[in-house]
Amino acid sequence: MKRYLPFVILTFLVLLPLAGLSTYAMHILILVIMWSVIGMAWNLLGGYCGQVSFGHAAFFGVGAYTSGILYQKLGISAWWGIPLSIIVVAAFALVIGFICLRLRGPFFALATLAVGVILRVSAENLTGLTQGDLGIMIRTRTWVGKTWYFYIILALAAVTFFLVRKTIDSKLGYYFVAIREDQDAAESLGIPATLYKTIALCISGVLTGMAGAFYMNYMGYIDPKVVFALHDISIVTIMVVMVGGAATYWGPIIGSVIMVLLAELIRSIPVLGVAYQTLFGILLIVIIIFLPNGIAGDWPKLKRLFGLRGAS
Amino acid sequence: MRRIFLVVMAAVFTVSLFATGAFAEDFKLSIPLPLTGKQAKFGEMMKRSYEMAAEEINAKGGIKKKKIVLSFEDSGAKPDTARAIVEKLIDVNKQPVIVGEYTSACAKAVAAVAEERKTPYLIVASADDAITQQHYKYVFRQNAVNAHYGDGVVDFLRRVVKPTTIAILYESSAFGTSGAEAMVKDAEKLGIRVLMKERYEAGSVDFRPLLSKVKAAQPDVVYMVSYVMDASLLMKQIKELRVDAKLFAGGAAGFAIPEFIDNAKDAAEYVISATLWMPEVKFPGAREFAEKYKKRYGDYPSYHGASAYSALYVLKNALDRAKTWTPDKIRDALKTTNMKTAFGPIKFEDREGYQNQNFMDTLVLQVQKGEFETIWLAQYASKQYIYPIPSWRERR
Repeated sequence: MKRYLPFVILTFLVLLPLAGLSTYAMHILILVIMWSVIGMAWNLLGGYCGQVSFGHAAFFGVGAYTSGILYQKLGISAWWGIPLSIIVVAAFALVIGFICLRLRGPFFALATLAVGVILRVSAENLTGLTQGDLGIMIRTRTWVGKTWYFYIILALAAVTFFLVRKTIDSKLGYYFVAIREDQDAAESLGIPATLYKTIALCISGVLTGMAGAFYMNYMGYIDPKVVFALHDISIVTIMVVMVGGAATYWGPIIGSVIMVLLAELIRSIPVLGVAYQTLFGILLIVIIIFLPNGIAGDWPKLKRLFGLRGAS
Repeated sequence: MRRIFLVVMAAVFTVSLFATGAFAEDFKLSIPLPLTGKQAKFGEMMKRSYEMAAEEINAKGGIKKKKIVLSFEDSGAKPDTARAIVEKLIDVNKQPVIVGEYTSACAKAVAAVAEERKTPYLIVASADDAITQQHYKYVFRQNAVNAHYGDGVVDFLRRVVKPTTIAILYESSAFGTSGAEAMVKDAEKLGIRVLMKERYEAGSVDFRPLLSKVKAAQPDVVYMVSYVMDASLLMKQIKELRVDAKLFAGGAAGFAIPEFIDNAKDAAEYVISATLWMPEVKFPGAREFAEKYKKRYGDYPSYHGASAYSALYVLKNALDRAKTWTPDKIRDALKTTNMKTAFGPIKFEDREGYQNQNFMDTLVLQVQKGEFETIWLAQYASKQYIYPIPSWRERR
């Protein structure tokens, strides 16, 4: 049963638009899936390879801007941004990796944090290329309905899911985990740590960048503050993985459901007013205190909590 | 632990279920606004103003005998949340018209959705020029475009100050950038030399390096486009560094709301700013609105509040005229709006490359003895302007 779970869920999601959901529900679903892509991508680098990045907004933004600049400057459909962002973001990730991956632990985290901010400031100032703070706006989005956007991001999510799984099950994955557990020990066994860390960063960055390019097409408007946001992108990415469960296949997906769907549900409770943020914050604190490995990571503990021990 | 958790979850779901129950006779209007985050100050003021307008309209019998029931949704100034809210309003709540939002980024996201879903959207205080330049049929804007925000100030410069040089400081946002661009163009027209045009990071804590450059350049006029915290900090540090100029001018937003004086204190004295509205303007109901607002919340509202307040009257006017309340009929009614509000005359025109845009006179205010006074255009003035202004050394 467990083996087929991904396929069951995928089939379910493929059939979902036929149920005639409201565009509001579809919008939230699309955001959930987009965030799970970003979460899975981050998980590969942060969860499995142990390199905690606080700057994934950089990759997200570069992907989004690749798409946006194609549209704005060359007059090509912004959808070409998705394939093109693979190349652009990979090249960018190589450069970033070359500089930042010499650092370890908190120093790497701080360096990536800086990369995110540097890119935001650059995008604000390279007005010739990015329009600066005025942002890039797509005059008419491709589709009014949400179904196609949904399938595109779903396809991207499926590819990401199986790619991450394949990578982790292969030799590469074992190298990543070895580096996470003890980089010196891994190196002494003959694993060129920097090379494999760079590979992890590239894959992770490219997947995030593709999600960014999708965001440009879907939302139709980007500016540096939106796509290179430290809090709204980089930190939320980490939260998605941490809440869901780092180094688990399902963690980022569960995490994005919580960070997007639950956040939206709580936001929609009218009696709370602006106190919804407090409630949501408390909820996150509770999850992190009682389930330090995330929901997927602490699944057995959760089962015990709900008295379902015998059920599985 | 487990029981508490279940109880909490049960409570959350019941509350959210009950909250969606509806009364048939009411006209329910949900308004997206930034109520948290950096723009919350503006959102709060607009929320209060919407509420005041709704109360007044309801007291006089509502719209076509239907009571307006307002609710507010916090977008936190995030475009994707703003979009989510609007998708919900259009699709789930079947709301035939959208009003609200504040930042230009959110307004752009909302405008695109409104246009796609053919639902009229009335913009209240988002200024970025581009929003009404997209040939959108369903997007209306009642505040002036950013390119015209500075008109009053420019007029004042031309007739009174007659400067030869100007320094422009602006925050890195769509609002700041387009405001600064507009000022550069206006300065060129008047033959004023732009000595520097510098962008700063919104929410900075230290402007001294930037201001030292201004001091060295010795411009006649310093023009700044900022949101609230930056505006007061800029003036405080200008005072600290004793940067002297013939005039300090602000481009609306942060310079035109009461918090500016509260935070900058005496450094705010003599600063002029563009604004779209002041309590003294002779529009019907403006004074009453301002006094009522002050009585209730302790401060005069800025143009953001007046615009929000009037937006509901504009909406009422359109809904009164619309035969049925379908999006298309409301859109047509909005298009033929021609009315006087506390915010000024409202009429949505297509000109200068804008569509469905209301054009209005922009005013200039000056801080005199810790109060905002309207000083320009002459017919709206509440006090004579003070110019030339004393240098920092002369002030005590």
